[in-house]
Amino acid sequence: MTRSFGHEHPGAMGFLTDATLCIGCKACEVACKQWNELPADGDAALSARSYDNTGDLGATTWRHVAFIERVATDEAPFAWLMLSDVCKHCVHAGCMEACPTGAIVRTEFDSIFIQPDICNGCGYCVPACPFGVPQLDQDDGRVHKCTLCYDRLRGGLQPACATACPTDSILFGPVTELRSIGRSRVESLKERGVQKASLYGDTSLGGTNGIGGLNAMFVLNDEPELFNLPAAPSLPQRTTGPAFLATLLSGACFALLGAAAFRATKRGED
Amino acid sequence: MPKKPLDDRIRDSPRPHAPPIHRSHWGWLVVAYFFLGGIAGGAQVIAALAALVGGKKSAGVARLARYVSFAAFLPCPPLLILDLGRPERFLHMLRVVKLRSPMSVGSWTLVAFGGVAALATLDQAAADHILPRGMLTRRRGWWSPLTAVTGLPLGLGLAGYTGVLLAATAVPLWTKRGLLLGPLFLASALSTAAAAIDATAIATGQRHRGWAPLRRFERLTLLAETLLMAAWLGRLGRAGLPLASGPLALWVHHGVAGLGLAVPAVLGALAPHLPPKLRITASAVALSSTLFGGFVLRWVLVVGGNRSADDAGATFEMTARPSTERKQGN
Ligand code: SF4
Ligand code: SF4
Repeated sequence: MTRSFGHEHPGAMGFLTDATLCIGCKACEVACKQWNELPADGDAALSARSYDNTGDLGATTWRHVAFIERVATDEAPFAWLMLSDVCKHCVHAGCMEACPTGAIVRTEFDSIFIQPDICNGCGYCVPACPFGVPQLDQDDGRVHKCTLCYDRLRGGLQPACATACPTDSILFGPVTELRSIGRSRVESLKERGVQKASLYGDTSLGGTNGIGGLNAMFVLNDEPELFNLPAAPSLPQRTTGPAFLATLLSGACFALLGAAAFRATKRGED
Repeated sequence: MPKKPLDDRIRDSPRPHAPPIHRSHWGWLVVAYFFLGGIAGGAQVIAALAALVGGKKSAGVARLARYVSFAAFLPCPPLLILDLGRPERFLHMLRVVKLRSPMSVGSWTLVAFGGVAALATLDQAAADHILPRGMLTRRRGWWSPLTAVTGLPLGLGLAGYTGVLLAATAVPLWTKRGLLLGPLFLASALSTAAAAIDATAIATGQRHRGWAPLRRFERLTLLAETLLMAAWLGRLGRAGLPLASGPLALWVHHGVAGLGLAVPAVLGALAPHLPPKLRITASAVALSSTLFGGFVLRWVLVVGGNRSADDAGATFEMTARPSTERKQGN
């Protein structure tokens, strides 16, 4: 899917990351760190419990290859689940709506980008992301996450991770195209007996309850929770309006209570 | 082997990676801000009510309330700025107005509130002949009623938006019954503000019979806080786990409910039957108890929220698909 993305309205671009094709080589992690000049996470030791050395998405890890040992059940045998996790570039992004500085913007590629010269490190986007993506960098005092390689896209290149992936587990392209690729992949997986196969990132799974879908989608071969992904998350800011209203109403009640309390003396005084 | 429910499979699999959402970095700076901002906002509300409907008898309450409000407000901006990863960029908070972002709404509210609180304080200081006579302070001008009329909504906004700010996140403890957080913060802000004003009155020897309305209001807000707290805690489910067990549970029971709500209520009921000398002591104990409880409430909310963010089960309980859908293997 090589093409120039430098023009003004390229449409929504995103990822399709296929867990069934991931071999856990971590080329995406490395390519991401190299291109974006991100430091290594400590020494390259494996975490004690798995072949996972970065552990989580974070301020300096924008692709994270999860290694999950799926325990055996009567439905499915033991298996390794591998998935390269990344920012979902939500259609309605909790991080962006939360950001009080306007540092987080939607680009012409419909990706979600944190402008490093604007972010003041308030950290509000961190708990406002339903997927645990952005994180405050204690060293430079700002929040960082995947940029969908905005600089590369501007130059007509694909994101570094997608370029590096040797199995095409990570595809980059127009979201509509990726979605149909993902759907047919899920169909064919189901035909081959992977009953739990699903496309994570449409409005019925992953991009639910106000999020409106994800521009970075995933093909999963088991329950999303096993991949550490919430099945039906909500856009946090759907609460803002009702919560302000509830606060306002209770505020009016308190003001009336207070007025009654203070009024009583005035009458006594008259 | 029977089919394991999803929860067990998640628990059983050696999950090398972190919880599904990231916790906030907020700690004691934000807790202190929530507490002091609540007092500042609440005291401005009380000042406005006392001035607008309280008449001459409540002028003393309004007067102290203005000073207490401004004094509580002063440390707020520094606390918030210190909490930023890039403190020198604090003005970026005022680059944009975003009504869907409670932090944006709150930043603007704080600025407007600061202006009104400062004006109200200058005005009061002029009336008290503390300030030398000058342009602004010559006489109580048009800004006097203006500070009351604007201070009321701005005070309510400052005291309540923090609850909305927590509710509009992905953190289980903050979102589960998020609609109650704003009202709960408001109730606690008003009760701690009333206590702070009353305590200042006792400390400066100004409390007398005319202060009955403030104490009445204090009792009403404590009652509201008790009801809201019970309603909020009652149905948190797994999201409330950090507050239901472990050390935070002790703080909720003894700090928030015991010292913050029960002790002031009992002492308030006993006070009329006590000899006058003991009465002041009882009041002082009740007031410090209220203030302490209000602080602990903010603290358990912030720390408990961070802990619930670490609990994958709490997040997954809230984000589970309706069970019918899952059975169909969607
Ligand atoms: S996944 Fe999180 S960080 Fe990425 S766009 Fe969505 S809300 Fe923002
Ligand atoms: S930390 Fe930066 S990007 Fe995140 S909400 Fe605050 S200002 Fe915006």
